[in-house]
Amino acid sequence: MEINYLKLINFRNYTQFDINFSSEGALIYGKNGIGKTNLLEAIAYFAFGKSFQTSHDVDLINFSQKFFRISAKFNLFEKELYFECAVDKEQKKIKIDDIKIPRISELYKYIKVVYFSPDDLGFTAGAPVYRRFFFDQAISQYSFDYIELLRKYNRILKQRNALLKKKFGEKEKMVWDKQFVKYGVEIIKRRLNYLKEFIPVLSQHYFYISGEKENLQTKYIYSFPIDNNTNLENNFLTYLKKIEVQEIENQRSLAGPHLDDIKFDIETHPARRFASQGQKRSIAIAARLVQAGMISQKDKEAPILMFDDVLSELDKERTKKILKILKKNHQIFIVTPNHEIYKDLALPGINLEKIV
Amino acid sequence: MFQGILADLVHNLKKLPGIGNKSAQRLAMYIISIKKEKALQIADSIKTAVENYSNCSICNMLTENDPCDFCSDKSRSNKLLCIVENTQDIYLIEEIQEYKGKYYVLGNLLSPLDGIGPEQINFPRLINFIRSEDIEEIILALNPSAEGESTMNFLGSQLSKYVNKITRLSTGLPFGGDIEYTSSLTLRNAFKRRYSVKD
Ligand SMILES: [Zn+2]
Repeated sequence: MEINYLKLINFRNYTQFDINFSSEGALIYGKNGIGKTNLLEAIAYFAFGKSFQTSHDVDLINFSQKFFRISAKFNLFEKELYFECAVDKEQKKIKIDDIKIPRISELYKYIKVVYFSPDDLGFTAGAPVYRRFFFDQAISQYSFDYIELLRKYNRILKQRNALLKKKFGEKEKMVWDKQFVKYGVEIIKRRLNYLKEFIPVLSQHYFYISGEKENLQTKYIYSFPIDNNTNLENNFLTYLKKIEVQEIENQRSLAGPHLDDIKFDIETHPARRFASQGQKRSIAIAARLVQAGMISQKDKEAPILMFDDVLSELDKERTKKILKILKKNHQIFIVTPNHEIYKDLALPGINLEKIV
Repeated sequence: MFQGILADLVHNLKKLPGIGNKSAQRLAMYIISIKKEKALQIADSIKTAVENYSNCSICNMLTENDPCDFCSDKSRSNKLLCIVENTQDIYLIEEIQEYKGKYYVLGNLLSPLDGIGPEQINFPRLINFIRSEDIEEIILALNPSAEGESTMNFLGSQLSKYVNKITRLSTGLPFGGDIEYTSSLTLRNAFKRRYSVKD
């Protein structure tokens, strides 16, 4: 899939701006503060229905204005589709070919962007929430109904936490526990399914990037103990019964997929603690490459890739290998102060200083 | 600009579902700008409807007559009971002409966030209803939302003492799918393909 044309009105520093893109993508340069990342942010907005930099749409509105509007033409499913997002303080309207979509998350069905972010370092080294966010978003891109499942689980979680804050009867608790376990387990199963494909390719990429020296092990970490003699539902439910007093004391749910994690070991050393910056960065980049590869394979349509200055800290050898894994069939956007690294990709350059 | 009486009107219109500040202002301006008799007609019919409608003392639905037309209709089967969340759902189900039994309006779904537990659902009255009729099947026609599913779960376990067959609608969708937004064809199929709530 490709973006052919982008138009920004009152978006961040862009009051009026439009640009055509080639199907290969672009190497975007220009001095700091010119709005390089903002351009990526605008394109990615069509994939996620929100910014990757802020959860407040209002922050995206140019400081002197009351609304922003971004529109774009994308090539996908062998046709050209016209997307438009209009946001003011009260509402957000997103249209595809002039038809308003009922839910923002519908966008996940259409535009797929894999954004290699400077924050991806948190994927390996940060708190578990980074990894859950990564996989929840990746799985949502991979199979759309996961979004609905997540929404439902989060709603049940919220209800259950509210229940734990008040006086409740045993039967009422049982009802919410059952729902919680049912949808919680469904989420875990979907994650495990995704990881079954994800992990082998990740190890393969990582092994290659590390110069065929390092083996990466990836493991799903449950927030409750697993007894293999029984199923997930029973394991989860048994544990909830066991921690009931603690949960009431803490007034919130203390187990479930919203607290699960994914662990990376290089050889046998936990990457989170022992990996070097370069190793951590490589794991995150390899993970993004797998994410992109899995979408391509399933959709028969390659997602748009964006690199936001993520390779400049890596050594030459690793960088070279990463670029080798990159498939040529993606439209690729790169923001970097250091174009030399990407020379081999032969992307057309866009100098923002000349057009903004 | 919106002060005094007009601000009051805006404030009150905003209490309606789906009406934000902008819409309330637009409606208020509209109401005071149209012919007086037309505007008063709207006000009158709101007043009359509110004064004349109350909950049916048997099934809980909002009705002009107590007991309601469904409860007093002898031609409707008293072997079937359909439990819905609100009165509007009854009208949606009536539209598909698939169901000819009795109704019961729950009024609330379990929702700890809104302080609604089993005590807030009018349970004794529901049990009374079930005992006084010769009910063979209870159909739980609630939305498959987090709250709807939990309520169906709860009702399923609580009512199985009284009635053997308790079913719920099939949505055809794995998750989501509000009754309100379902087409009548889908709703008819959901009724036909209802299934037992027993695990
Ligand atoms: Zn009635």
